[in-house]
Amino acid sequence: MLSFTPADYSAILLSVKVATTATVLSLPFGFAVAYLMTFHKFRGRIVLDGIVNLPLTLPPVVVGYLLLLLLGRHGWIGRTILQPLGLELIFTWKAAVIATAVVGFPLMVRSMRIGMEMIDRGLIQASRTLGAGWLDTVITVILPLSLRGIIAGSVLMFARGLGEFGATIIVAGNIPGVTQTIPLAIYEYVSSPGGDFMAIALCSVSITISVAVLIFHEWIGRRTGRVV
Amino acid sequence: MKEIIRLILSLFFFVLSVGPIFAADVNLSVAASLKEVVTALSNDFAKKNTTVSFRRNLGGSGALAKQIENGAPCDVFFSANFEWVDYLKEKKIVDANAIAAFAFNELVFVGRPELKSGSLDDVVKLKKIAIGSPKNVPAGQYAMEAFKKANIDKKLKDKLVMAKDVRECLMYAERGEVDGAFVYKTDAGIMARNVKILFIMPQELYPRITYIVALTVTGAKKNEAAAFFKFMQSARAKKVLSKYGFAVK
Amino acid sequence: MKLSMGIHKQFGAFQLDADFDLEGNRIGLFGPSGSGKSTLMGVLAGLHRPDQGVILLDGETIFDSRNGMNLAVPHRRIGMVFQRPHLFPHMSVKRNLLYGYRRCPQQNRTIKLDSLISVLQLGQLLNRGVGNLSGGERQRVAIGRAVLSNPRLLIMDEPLSGLDDNLKYQIIPFLKNACEVFGIPYLFISHSLIETRIMTEKVLTLDRGQITGLMTVEELARIHMGDHAANYINLLKLRRPHRIHGLPVYKWGDQQLLISAGDDQPEALFELSSSEIILCKRHPEAISARNLLNCRVSDVFETGGRLGVELECGREHLIAEIVRQSAEDLGIKKGIKIYAAIKATAFRRLG
Repeated sequence: MLSFTPADYSAILLSVKVATTATVLSLPFGFAVAYLMTFHKFRGRIVLDGIVNLPLTLPPVVVGYLLLLLLGRHGWIGRTILQPLGLELIFTWKAAVIATAVVGFPLMVRSMRIGMEMIDRGLIQASRTLGAGWLDTVITVILPLSLRGIIAGSVLMFARGLGEFGATIIVAGNIPGVTQTIPLAIYEYVSSPGGDFMAIALCSVSITISVAVLIFHEWIGRRTGRVV
Repeated sequence: MKEIIRLILSLFFFVLSVGPIFAADVNLSVAASLKEVVTALSNDFAKKNTTVSFRRNLGGSGALAKQIENGAPCDVFFSANFEWVDYLKEKKIVDANAIAAFAFNELVFVGRPELKSGSLDDVVKLKKIAIGSPKNVPAGQYAMEAFKKANIDKKLKDKLVMAKDVRECLMYAERGEVDGAFVYKTDAGIMARNVKILFIMPQELYPRITYIVALTVTGAKKNEAAAFFKFMQSARAKKVLSKYGFAVK
Repeated sequence: MKLSMGIHKQFGAFQLDADFDLEGNRIGLFGPSGSGKSTLMGVLAGLHRPDQGVILLDGETIFDSRNGMNLAVPHRRIGMVFQRPHLFPHMSVKRNLLYGYRRCPQQNRTIKLDSLISVLQLGQLLNRGVGNLSGGERQRVAIGRAVLSNPRLLIMDEPLSGLDDNLKYQIIPFLKNACEVFGIPYLFISHSLIETRIMTEKVLTLDRGQITGLMTVEELARIHMGDHAANYINLLKLRRPHRIHGLPVYKWGDQQLLISAGDDQPEALFELSSSEIILCKRHPEAISARNLLNCRVSDVFETGGRLGVELECGREHLIAEIVRQSAEDLGIKKGIKIYAAIKATAFRRLG
């Protein structure tokens, strides 16, 4: 008998909520970083590239632990900024969003950069000579032409976010209804005798969402392909 | 010449067949709260039986049972409740004749000393509390049962942080990520100084925590494992258990 | 337009040095490929930054390395037409055209969309997507877009090189017209002498990153004739054709020209190579060439081992070329009267 408990439904909703929030919040930063890396040469460019790509090469658990050290009660940011403001991030859904955003950020930036690199530099020169300042050019020329890369990056981050486990469990913990996302719920069922059935059920939900996201990505790709 | 070769070959096969006698590895799956005491007991046993070497696997009792069910090597299973042993007995993985209760424990609430939480009613007012995941950690199951009996389970919704075992609960409490945690009384010995027992969970709210030691079907065939099983019920073992804070009757 | 540039820029092995003052509205920048023309103009437009130097446009300092002055590209109001149209693919033709206009301050908006559309004949194209245009149409839109941004100077960087001949000579009138009608001074970059002669009056020549001269376009043509052992191409803009015995005839100065390649269009541009003009001291009574012009030799000059002969016919001029021997034999020198025989088929139509 397949029946999801309220905690299971929370897990599903929470996963979608966390992944969506992480993606939306990362968009402006991802765009800014991708823009800087693609169109400007500056000292420290390689360092920025390294930092942005770091989460891609580190095990998520390490990323989670580093975030914990940074944002926890005794962490550098925790002590100097969060505590004085009375903000608690660790073990809240906000921490889950941060963990997901950090882990998925390199994927988003990578896709956006690929989209931006395809833009003909002549268009940018033309827009400057026609009187557009740098921000104007970014908004009216670069943004519309890199839309495909932006969408691809968002979808990638969202999908990665749905599956985020390692960093999330360290920095947001496993709190049903608050931070227990689908992967954490599945993990609990998997380590429980008799939990296999529910584990598979939740896996199916996870797969369904992922397939839906991929189909959406294809559809968007075709549509923007036509306009450009 | 042929005679010598035959002798060598038969010696070779003989050695192989009696291998287990010499390489005596005993696999233990141990509930997290028993880590220190079982380590002490197994070291004690190994001193007197030098051919034996123990391999210890720690975790929440439920998770351990799942691993054993899936084929993890285990000769002796130490569980914090009867449920998971029974589960494996049904599956004919645990020898039905080699199951024994050997120690008992109590649930306590620990947290930072400044927290003035002296009872369950106070606990409800806190922001975040760690318990072992009821799905596979007996301490968490007991805590949940107690909450339900005391009618505060709904009030605690969204405040409970699920840990994979009791030690992780303790770690969260020590790090200050939660206000407090429900752990075993025996953990008092290994807690960090910034965490104190704030109150003992009233026993009427939950069934008595009983530790079970059981031999798996593979373990029952190993002499060392069977010997260790027997040792766990000896007077000497009881002394060590008492020293670590466990009740023995 | 007044332009003063004194700059130096080094890229790897290539060095660009320019130091000149010029004044005029139809200036050319001429030189072989790779001589640094695009880079020089890029520096003027602000797209590249020189290592050191000063640039003054109409008296305003737009760059000075001594005090860190570097007016940003959008503020220089220097329009550019590039080799490739660089139209924004995500905007319609109309939005492309208005891109610069919208970013031009109100007080400078003297050129409006409607007049531009009629001058460049863009009416049909307005609502089309940029991908549905032919090469020539794209370049016209690019020109329109740059002009409509109301620049104080228009730089055209080899705008015709991507086009075939036919198309080139169709676009040239649009280019010239747009700038003349709207009064925009321009800098026309090219490695083609004919294009430069049609479009400009004064030329700056550039070779291997160094300015080699500033002269009139006529002077350039003559020097080029000499340096490259090339023929001089006479360019004739002719009007009001009519027909005699079916052959097109154009009025030229106080004489007429029979041109096989002519047609009934009111105006046409023809080229006539100096090597196609035969000089006769006496009127050749029986000759197949249909054009026999009565001229006076106004100048004889050395050019690459041959002699160039400048002929004056009424108010018009032609340049012919002959070998030194012929000049000696016929006694051709300045001031004498002479006949120029040209076949009707010698004229090549340009546009």
